[in-house]
Amino acid sequence: MQPGGHASWLKGVIEVPEWVHIIIRTLISFCAMFVFARLIGKRQLSQITFFEYIVGIAIGDMAAIIPDELDAPLYHGLLPMAVYTALPIALSWVALKSKSARDFLEGHARVLIRDGKILEDNLKKERMSTDELLEHLRSKNVFKVADVEFALMESNGTVNVLVKSEQQPLTPKRMGLQVPPEVEPQAVIMDGQIMDEALATIGFNRAWLKTELEKQGVAVENVFLAQVDATGQLYIDVYEDKLKIPEPQTLPLTNITLKKAQADLESFALATADVQAKRMYTEAAERIQQVIDKVGPYLTR
Amino acid sequence: MTIAQQVKTTLASLKSAQANLESFALATQNKQAKQVYTQAAQTTQSVVDQLQQRVGQLEKEEPTYKGF
Repeated sequence: MQPGGHASWLKGVIEVPEWVHIIIRTLISFCAMFVFARLIGKRQLSQITFFEYIVGIAIGDMAAIIPDELDAPLYHGLLPMAVYTALPIALSWVALKSKSARDFLEGHARVLIRDGKILEDNLKKERMSTDELLEHLRSKNVFKVADVEFALMESNGTVNVLVKSEQQPLTPKRMGLQVPPEVEPQAVIMDGQIMDEALATIGFNRAWLKTELEKQGVAVENVFLAQVDATGQLYIDVYEDKLKIPEPQTLPLTNITLKKAQADLESFALATADVQAKRMYTEAAERIQQVIDKVGPYLTR
Repeated sequence: MTIAQQVKTTLASLKSAQANLESFALATQNKQAKQVYTQAAQTTQSVVDQLQQRVGQLEKEEPTYKGF
């Protein structure tokens, strides 16, 4: 490098050694890249399209110009970076507003299997071989093409599979079971500290927590993590891993008590000779059975 | 165990289950769960009442075991 050969905005102000110049420019390009990356959005790498991927590389390349070409003014790097950031944002805004623009810009999913039949033409259009298709299916835990009802390739290249209904996992809905709504549990103790906010959210206070801890014979300081679920059951993990803390049993115990009482009532009904008492026992047994049917799902989770 | 004693045992466990159901109803924040628990507690309470009557009858029939 000849002295004075690199005219720069910084050199004009104060004389700095070249290495300081490089560091400053690197920091600027680093910060600019960070800002532009945040502007582009927070989508995961696996969700971006190929185009967005290339745009990312291009921006990175321009960022490299800033510390590399000391002669060039800063905006030679920053300006194209800004344009390259603005364009995808503008395009994604257009895509958000119009369906046809979306299809053009982001591509659309292509059906590979419909009604259990492989669509060979679409496979060809995606340039996918039979082996690749099978590989994609296997990655979705489908080993038999016969199990597939519907499969499509998303615009980002992943293959999603809908298996036939008889192959789908059993859910309470399919079983016709009524189950209680799931409510997120709250962590009420973390690292021995009581979380008052979480405790209030789930509708309890410190006094309640103290009582529950006493019931299980644990001091707050020894608790690594404690969670309360919607039914007010407290699950505790203590620092000492050898210590066994019993899981709360009130819910299942109540279920069992009810079941036993129901069986007792039935046997009383059989045992008694008194017609009126027999009728009363049978009716009581039926009502307890109704209670078990209704409340059972809430007690056995 | 006589029948009266057996019925009393069942009555006791039903009472405990009923009390548990009521405390679950109080503890839960979920409206639907609260309703289910409350209804279950009410039904159980009515059965408890019936059994209580029956225990009274049995005690009359077998006065020896009164109070056991």
